[in-house]
Amino acid sequence: MFGRRVGGRLALPILLAVGFLTLIALSLASIWLHGRAQRDAERATAAHALETKLVSLLVHLRRAESGQRGYLLSGDPRFLLTHRLAIDAVLPALAEIEAALANNPVQREAFAPLKPQVIEKLDELRETIRRYDTGDTAGAIALFKTGAGRQNMENITAIVERMQEGGERQLALESAQFQQTQRIVLAAELSGMALIVAVALMSFFLSWRSMRDQQTAQQKLRDNNAALESTVAERTRYLLDANNEIQSFASIVSHDLRSPLVNIMGFTSELETFRKNMFERLAALRAQAPGPDAENDDAALGGEFDEAVEFIKGSIAKMDRLINAILVISREGGRNLRAESVDMTALVRAVADGYMHRTLEIGAEITVEPLPAMTIDRLAIEQVFSNLLDNAVKFMRTDVPGRIHVKGREMPFTVVYEVRDNGRGIDPKDAERVFELFRRSGMRDRQGEGIGLAHVRALVRRLGGSIRLESEPGEGCTFTVTLPKRWIDPSTDWKQQ
Amino acid sequence: MNAVTIILIEDDDGHARLVEKNLRRAGVSNPITRCADGESAVQCLFGGGCAGQLLVLLDLNLPDMSGIDILQRLKTDSKLGRTPVVVLTTADDKIEVQRCYDLGCNVYITKPVDYEHFANAVQQLGLFLSVVQIPETA
Repeated sequence: MFGRRVGGRLALPILLAVGFLTLIALSLASIWLHGRAQRDAERATAAHALETKLVSLLVHLRRAESGQRGYLLSGDPRFLLTHRLAIDAVLPALAEIEAALANNPVQREAFAPLKPQVIEKLDELRETIRRYDTGDTAGAIALFKTGAGRQNMENITAIVERMQEGGERQLALESAQFQQTQRIVLAAELSGMALIVAVALMSFFLSWRSMRDQQTAQQKLRDNNAALESTVAERTRYLLDANNEIQSFASIVSHDLRSPLVNIMGFTSELETFRKNMFERLAALRAQAPGPDAENDDAALGGEFDEAVEFIKGSIAKMDRLINAILVISREGGRNLRAESVDMTALVRAVADGYMHRTLEIGAEITVEPLPAMTIDRLAIEQVFSNLLDNAVKFMRTDVPGRIHVKGREMPFTVVYEVRDNGRGIDPKDAERVFELFRRSGMRDRQGEGIGLAHVRALVRRLGGSIRLESEPGEGCTFTVTLPKRWIDPSTDWKQQ
Repeated sequence: MNAVTIILIEDDDGHARLVEKNLRRAGVSNPITRCADGESAVQCLFGGGCAGQLLVLLDLNLPDMSGIDILQRLKTDSKLGRTPVVVLTTADDKIEVQRCYDLGCNVYITKPVDYEHFANAVQQLGLFLSVVQIPETA
């Protein structure tokens, strides 16, 4: 899987690179071939030019020869003119041939014996003409008859023919080589093109596969999202049901607990009435039949009765408060929250002002920094700060002036508020416990049922946030409330948010 | 003058006894008919079990039906619609209190645990009973 994925990821760039390299190679081959063809064409032209020059050399020599013969035969000076003109053209033609052979060592070798032969021939021609012009016609004829000149001419013709053949051979050889090269290049180009086509096809296939994989992945993602959505909706429904159940449970339990409590309290009061009636009657009887120490006995009896009743009433009152607390929290859970824009600085300062008389009394001070505003349920957030400040004021130390400081900051997705005090603090091992209902930490010298922080946590959770406590005993504590910037009511359909 | 009969609809014997005791102590001497559940209350009110002018003390938490249903039925009944109803319950839920008043209950009293408040409430209830003008039944 991993290897295939890596291969798939690298294959496309590799293919593209191969394609480009092939194209570059093909272009280079093309350019080279073109150069080669041009060079060959130049060579062919040069070979043809050499051919022409060789032929014209021969023509000039033959014209010189025929002019010489015509002059010797007729003595007509026009033949002499033809002869002279031809003779004058021979050496330049020879020089041209020599120049054209500068880059051709093979032909130069063949050319080497030509020049002496030509010069010899020219000497012979000039000598016959000189002898004839000086009147030595017989000498001229004799020289002519030696056949040296004819031999000369034959040699020259043979050399020129050899050179012509050599040029043709060279041309044919090069032409064959060129054709061979052309075939190779053609084959290379064809295979290059085939490679490019293959690369293109593979690229196409890879792209197609990648696209298909992507589509499959997207489909899978959509399926997963859909499954996730339905799972979340299901869980949310389940949680809401569970929450509602707990709330109605708390409500029913507190009602049903309260009902017998009404009887206990009511009939305890009845007992007190009985006691009053009984002791009145007892006092009346005592008046009729007084006994030693009887009144003290009666008073002791009455005291014990009162003590018992007081304990019962105290417990009832406590139980009543606890049940009320459960009712309050269960009702808070059932209340519909309503998000509105809240100026937190003003709200917390107003709450702090509510504790003014108590802070003045104990010499404490509450400072509130400017806080980030929020869109939230006003009553709920007010209760959160009210309970936190109440807690802080309640558990001030007596040895230092109380300082309570509220500050806040905005984070990317949340708003964080801190309530810091220098009170007696909370043992870290109780940091979680203080948020539980009816649980308290430290000395029990202050009034309270252990409801405030439980209530705060329930509220903060309903607002979608969390609360954390950092504390050292004797150092004070810091409650950090983290709330989402955008409150989402979990009881509405979350998908519509 | 016809004596007004107090119908006490209350499933808890203790509560019923406390209410009765404290009514008597407050000087209320009207006959009291107690219904211990919703069914007998319905029988008494709508089945002709109780006659004459009535005043209903109604507990909302009944084992077999909700007191709210009895209140609603009573207040929409052509004959008994004007019968005064005092709702006595342990709950002081604002929504529930409002609902009872909306349905036409005359007084809503939360059963207190504190005896003094309870006595006071019942005293006031007795006072209310003595001054209230029970309308002539049709």
